[in-house]
Amino acid sequence: MNPQEASIYAPRPATLLQVENLTPQEKLFRLRLDDGCELGQQPGQFVQVSLAGFTEAPISLASSPTRQGFFELGVRRAGRLTGALHQLLPGARIGVRGPFGRPFALEVLRGRQLLLLAGGCGLAPLRSLIQYCGDHPQDFPRVHILYGARSPADLMFQQELLDWRQIPGFSCRYTVDNRPATSCYNGETGLITRLLDEIVIDPQHSCAVIVGPPPMYRPVIAALRRQGLVGEKRIMLSLERQMRCGVGKCGHCTIEHLYCCKDGPIFWLEEIEQLRGAL
Amino acid sequence: MLKTLDLPALRQLLCAIAAEFELRVPVQPAPGMRLLAPWPVAEIALFGPPLQPKPTAAFFPQTQTLLTLGADASVELPSPPVRPLALFGLARADLQGIAFLDRFFSAPPADDVYQRLRRDALLIGLSGNCGTERKFLPLAGGHCDFELIAQGTGWWGRAHTPRGAHWLRELPAAEGADLTWLNEKSAQLIDEPQQLLARAAKLLVQERVPEEFWREIAARCILCCGCNQVCPTCNCFCVEDQLRGTNVERRRVWDSCQLDAFMREASGHNPLGTEALRTRRRIFHKLVADPQRWGEYGCVACGRCDAACPTGIGIFALCEQLVARYS
Repeated sequence: MNPQEASIYAPRPATLLQVENLTPQEKLFRLRLDDGCELGQQPGQFVQVSLAGFTEAPISLASSPTRQGFFELGVRRAGRLTGALHQLLPGARIGVRGPFGRPFALEVLRGRQLLLLAGGCGLAPLRSLIQYCGDHPQDFPRVHILYGARSPADLMFQQELLDWRQIPGFSCRYTVDNRPATSCYNGETGLITRLLDEIVIDPQHSCAVIVGPPPMYRPVIAALRRQGLVGEKRIMLSLERQMRCGVGKCGHCTIEHLYCCKDGPIFWLEEIEQLRGAL
Repeated sequence: MLKTLDLPALRQLLCAIAAEFELRVPVQPAPGMRLLAPWPVAEIALFGPPLQPKPTAAFFPQTQTLLTLGADASVELPSPPVRPLALFGLARADLQGIAFLDRFFSAPPADDVYQRLRRDALLIGLSGNCGTERKFLPLAGGHCDFELIAQGTGWWGRAHTPRGAHWLRELPAAEGADLTWLNEKSAQLIDEPQQLLARAAKLLVQERVPEEFWREIAARCILCCGCNQVCPTCNCFCVEDQLRGTNVERRRVWDSCQLDAFMREASGHNPLGTEALRTRRRIFHKLVADPQRWGEYGCVACGRCDAACPTGIGIFALCEQLVARYS
């Protein structure tokens, strides 16, 4: 393609460097752009992954820009494109557009005590922020990570969940909704809100970030408010929407007057709480 | 300055334009309907009902190739048109629809696929006594290069851009022509539907329309999506891949917010999971969300959705009921 004729819909070729099984449904894909450039993402952004014959799907970036030479995507097998993606082996080439979307507001989070809450495969996008915080310990001295999954088999990044506990100033707890009788899992069970209620924070100097499935938001927000996180720029969340284009044109991700792909996917709670259908 | 022209002069003007542009003009293939057809045509339909399909489809067609992906991962973009389009016969509402899409698709990042067709296109409005049975249609007043105002047996030509003035330059001046009365008449025609939309929008903003209303309207919707398909400002699309030999053609296709799959996510979560929510969204988006986002209604009062809807829930019918019940 002639660069003079660039199109907002044209994917850039990228090569799959490594594939790692995270859970039976999720894999971590490590990629590098074929032109050798860094992707240039900020934590919280996403890319449109393109496979010829399967169109595109929005996938959150799971790695921090502080990790150079590659970028990572945590992908749940949920449809035709992600099913095809799960069949790929290292060396395969795919297309990528982006990074797109509004990232986490690092400038606001910096210096605050952070509560990072993830549910299900929401840990993948939150991982980009966790890595970023871990790589800038002077800016993020106190970080609590709370993670909930359905079952022990659904826990993503299991080794990293343990590794994050070793970072000075970090804590990391995780829980599962259900522990099958046959499981050797001996960790915590119950909803993520129970972990949250047990944490002691300084509400005046704290911010929370939530990334998870839609049913998780309201109970977690209520628990955070019980902790004293009220007012503006206290709770930030990432909204999941169908995004066909990633650039605010296709109309599938609108939340009233907002376009989730351009105005989000990261929002402050007060920006979307009153919009119908946002939560 | 207004110019004047009769039918032979109009044909001569269109011939000259067709030498430089891919000209499309209104024709009447069957009683009661008009559409834009490639020049030359045997007879130009110089008055009649709104053009159907909507003229915005010239730049944002129902299916449109975005790019072609080669087997070697190469990307090929569609070629620009050999000659730019010239559309003649656009009513004020048609031009407002195009202006709406111009602004939407040029918002950063600009949509190159739309602009490839829209760039350099010539827009020619048609107003005055050119509606059904020569009913008066409001003056365009802008959003086009020039407009022809039907009056008596001829037209007044009014330029709105330097390019429009260029095309009208050799026509004689319309001595004594005065648009004052036509402007007043136009303002009245424009104001009435705007008032209805404004009253409905206010009720929506004030949350005075109960869910029950949307459930009732949704029960009447047969999901034909005609409202979206004929609306000149509807711009939602989905993307599909089509195998062409060893290549894949990626194209966009109009989509409809009335369909269940419109917002359904891969996880199964659907923010618009009921017909009532989707019906409310169609109206709320045009009357509240679009003004908040773009500063104007997403309805140009063309009446197409009301004419197309088989169950009488086009935007005007719906707004009339809404205002009558909840004001």
